[in-house]
Amino acid sequence: MHPWPLRGNRLPAEERLRVIDFGYVSPLRSQTLWHAVAMGVSDGAAPPTLSFARPTAPYVGIGYHRSLQEVDTDVCAAKGLPVYRRMVGGGPVYLDQNQLFFQITIPARQVVGVRSAALRKLLGPAVAAFRAAGIDAQLDAATEIVVGERKVCGHGAGQIEEAVTVVGNCIESFDHEEAVSTLRLPDDRMRSDVLAAMRSYVGPPEGTPAIDSTSFTHAAAGAYEKALGLTASPGQLTDAELAHLDRLDDIFVSPRWISSGDAEAADEPAEVAAPDIRRYEPARRDAVDGGCRQVKIRGGVYVFRAATEAAVARGTVVGGRIRHAKLRLRGSNALQPDLEEGELQNLLGVLEAKLEGLGLGEAADVLRSVGAGGSEWRVASTLADTLDLVDRTGMEAGR
Amino acid sequence: MTLTERVKGYELRLDLSYDPASDLWVDTSGCTDASGSPGSGVVVIGLDPLGAETSGTLAQLSLAAPGAEVRRGGPLGSLEAEKFVGPLLAPLSGTLVEVNSEALAQPAKVHHDPYGTWLVKLRPSDLGADLDTLVRGEATVREWFESRVDDYRRQGVLAE
Repeated sequence: MHPWPLRGNRLPAEERLRVIDFGYVSPLRSQTLWHAVAMGVSDGAAPPTLSFARPTAPYVGIGYHRSLQEVDTDVCAAKGLPVYRRMVGGGPVYLDQNQLFFQITIPARQVVGVRSAALRKLLGPAVAAFRAAGIDAQLDAATEIVVGERKVCGHGAGQIEEAVTVVGNCIESFDHEEAVSTLRLPDDRMRSDVLAAMRSYVGPPEGTPAIDSTSFTHAAAGAYEKALGLTASPGQLTDAELAHLDRLDDIFVSPRWISSGDAEAADEPAEVAAPDIRRYEPARRDAVDGGCRQVKIRGGVYVFRAATEAAVARGTVVGGRIRHAKLRLRGSNALQPDLEEGELQNLLGVLEAKLEGLGLGEAADVLRSVGAGGSEWRVASTLADTLDLVDRTGMEAGR
Repeated sequence: MTLTERVKGYELRLDLSYDPASDLWVDTSGCTDASGSPGSGVVVIGLDPLGAETSGTLAQLSLAAPGAEVRRGGPLGSLEAEKFVGPLLAPLSGTLVEVNSEALAQPAKVHHDPYGTWLVKLRPSDLGADLDTLVRGEATVREWFESRVDDYRRQGVLAE
């Protein structure tokens, strides 16, 4: 028996919320199915749709704009983990069977023009579903679905042709080690920082009861029909969506799409994606050695590692404030000729303590105010120059 | 000459043209004569202040490459804020001659300085026809912008 009432099937399409539970599907289909739905809704032939899926095996997903350099594709290949690029936003994510995916897709014209408001409106019903499934979740100020400080649902959103889709994953449990292993990171120290932050901020808190999937999907259907003023009813893909699905299956395994988001490689019609869009590779953020590598753990929580030839600065930023800063100098001791190794280590410890709790914007200034032209000042200024490499976009605002 | 006025809490350039469909401003001064009639040359295009506000701080930006032919209402690029990817639609048809590498490198600048951080320069292919679709003229621009802000505020999705 369907958990959703059948009364909606007799309603006109514009009054229906089609609900499709795809169940367990291959990693590829766990992405392409909902993209096909988006194209069907965009065509106007399918009603607004709430869909669910669960992958049969682990894989890595990457957001539309993001660089494949952020993913350790060698490790993924060795582990047999496919990598798929989605048409919605966000960074690289590790996905597996312990995550129930949901997607809400509605015509773009029905989405309020203010992005943050649209996102909150379309994620709000998911929070109700979590709560119905026994998880005390909330939508926090950074637009994350959380229990306490821990993110229990990743999300991304995007306009796909004339439809808007917001996707999320109800995280039942999370394999932090496996997730970190799929990221390309400059060194083991940063890997350790990312792992620690993920353990602190991602996945349900210890002792959380197992999520009842049926309760979640049923409650989500109820919450979304109420929020959207529609009537939920079970449905299936249209023939047009099945045709989209075939094409998407080809596009999503195309190396050119995976590496750069260029759908042309699969000989796709131009309407599938803008074919001539330059995908900028933000070198500063992707640099493996030198420059700055940043990993967003959840809204408001980032791990960073900034490196110059002379120094390396690492740390975690929580709500715009630095935590657990680690500083070191590289190579020769030309910077600190008057300092013994022990004195240098003491100085670095003092500087790390000074950074604790500071905003990124003020951290470099604080370092530059240390000492007065001597060795200590040279060391601190060099580290300040390194911190200047950190891209503060989003980090200071807590996003 | 630039003409800026504070309208409903936003710094608004009244001397520019605006495309309501794409939230983009268009500076046609490089290809219109003193009377505003179309000539040859290049237009400069950027995100308007309300487009910047409603998008949120941009984390990612992609733009069509120089040399690309774009058509009005077709894809010009895409932007991402709050993990939400959306299209940038071309306000005019034509050929891209330059993209702003600074905006690509630091998309957040578009949010903080939407007039100072232009996105693309384009040589229009049918400026005469496309101009008719843009909002132009000081009074018209002011009225149109006020109405947009009021609309969002009535919906409760934009702060007073």
